[in-house]
Amino acid sequence: MGGFNNHVDNSIWGRAVLMAGAILTIGIVAFAALGLGVGSVKHDEYMEAKDEYKEALKDTSLTEDELYKIHHHEIDAHLSYLTYWVAGVTILAISGIYAIFLGVGGFFNSIQPQEDHGHDDHHDDHHDEHHGSASPIVFCIGVLLFMMGFPDFVEGMRALLSQGGTFAAGDMVLSTLGLTIIMIGVANWWREDLPFIGHGEQIATSAPFEGEHIRKAGLWVFIMSEVMVFATFFSSYLRIRTEWCTKWAFDEGRCGVGMTEGDIVMTASDYLRPGGAAGTGDFWTMLPGAVNTFALIISSYTIVLALKTAKDKNWEAPKGALKFLFPDKKTAVRNYLIATLLLGSMFIVLKLVEWSHLVAEGFTVGTVQGSIFYVATGAHGLHVFVGLLIMLYLVFKADTIGYDEDNGQGIEYFGLYWHFVDLAWVVIFPAFYLY
Amino acid sequence: MGEHAATGLEKWLLDKTGKDIYFWNFQVLMFFTLFEVGAVFFEVIPGTDIRITRFMVWAILIGVGIIKGYGIAAYFMHLRGDPRIYTRTALFPVLFVLLMMWGIGLSNPEAITELPSWCTPDWDYATNR
Repeated sequence: MGGFNNHVDNSIWGRAVLMAGAILTIGIVAFAALGLGVGSVKHDEYMEAKDEYKEALKDTSLTEDELYKIHHHEIDAHLSYLTYWVAGVTILAISGIYAIFLGVGGFFNSIQPQEDHGHDDHHDDHHDEHHGSASPIVFCIGVLLFMMGFPDFVEGMRALLSQGGTFAAGDMVLSTLGLTIIMIGVANWWREDLPFIGHGEQIATSAPFEGEHIRKAGLWVFIMSEVMVFATFFSSYLRIRTEWCTKWAFDEGRCGVGMTEGDIVMTASDYLRPGGAAGTGDFWTMLPGAVNTFALIISSYTIVLALKTAKDKNWEAPKGALKFLFPDKKTAVRNYLIATLLLGSMFIVLKLVEWSHLVAEGFTVGTVQGSIFYVATGAHGLHVFVGLLIMLYLVFKADTIGYDEDNGQGIEYFGLYWHFVDLAWVVIFPAFYLY
Repeated sequence: MGEHAATGLEKWLLDKTGKDIYFWNFQVLMFFTLFEVGAVFFEVIPGTDIRITRFMVWAILIGVGIIKGYGIAAYFMHLRGDPRIYTRTALFPVLFVLLMMWGIGLSNPEAITELPSWCTPDWDYATNR
């Protein structure tokens, strides 16, 4: 939206840089505490358990039961170490990306020439005109280039992180160019939207959306294209799953003639679900997925509360302890959005912790069932993460310009996307985690 | 747009409980999620000897999925109350999704014997002809 309806001083963007610094500090502290602090203790425990198991393998006097217990202890120690290390690294990585987007975007906008709005009476006639924005197109070109270079980018990152392969700078060029263009597009988009206080929303003038906000109609059409993307993953999964001899199918005699228990195909839910065929599933393996499901639903509710608060003309501060969290309308909207941001970030952290456990237990992307699981849940995770980057801006706007009954539709339209992400999880969670 | 004045069930809930439809929708979503997760924790229905079969799990997951999906789309995404064009837009891809699902039957080697006949080609006819 490019409606310039409010004077915004460039210095306001300096606050984005400060917020970026605060977020990065939180990330570094969390990494130091979880990854380096608890993580290194857990790593030592894991190494001890590993040595103990190695010794036990040589000890012929141990019974099979005793050996199993020692082995089980080693696995637990490994997963415990992975939990803290991966959580720490993930928090550092996502806070770093948040800081880059907010910091670079904020810096870029703070050094732009100051625009003079609201003081020139000669331009009043143009205030309600829409100003079409090129930022989404710039953003899309950036995404295109980034995706084109993504396979090489992954190889380059693997080499940089000493995970194998040889580093070649050329691998990173296309994706880095794409990321730079994305940053420019996003920063400019923010700059155009920040002054928007609700006047001059573009209205569709012809059927079928006549009289509706163009942004809302466009978002619904976008969401429907996203439905098709997830339907592709889901139908692919169902298509190949019907061929697998899973534990369910085996128990009900639905596998082919001559199939034995050794032929059973392990799905992600076999590793995660209590009673799953892999034998690793219990309350704790199911917990991240279950907590994530609740986190998304709660985050859907908090963003609805942010919208409701913004649109409420007669909003009153709650009484009692909640008054500290929601002292006034502007702060209340911001805090609901921060709660949504935190819940979404927790989703990403738990998702990667869970993935690290699955990979450690042998459920890798190198199998058909692993491939479809990681691609589908990864695509969903990517959608959550993109949503979080947008939410970062919403928090910034809520903290500076503020949302009210006139411009609250910004939250509503983002909320539609966020609810869609929740809706996609409603399908993915039972299909991949429970069944 | 977006937020609507409470009518019908929404108004009744608001009058009776003092809480709006968003709150109750949230409660329903939380309850059914708990139910969904709980369903896979048990191998038999608690307090009985009835084994939870694959089809029972399917029924629970699909049923709960529909309820949760409706709750999110109708109330959180405001499809109930928004102009109908949005609901029509939302339902448009369903046609393609159904085609995709049908394609599972068309392309699956197990379709001849394992999948229900309504989602498979007429293999018997093709074989006997």
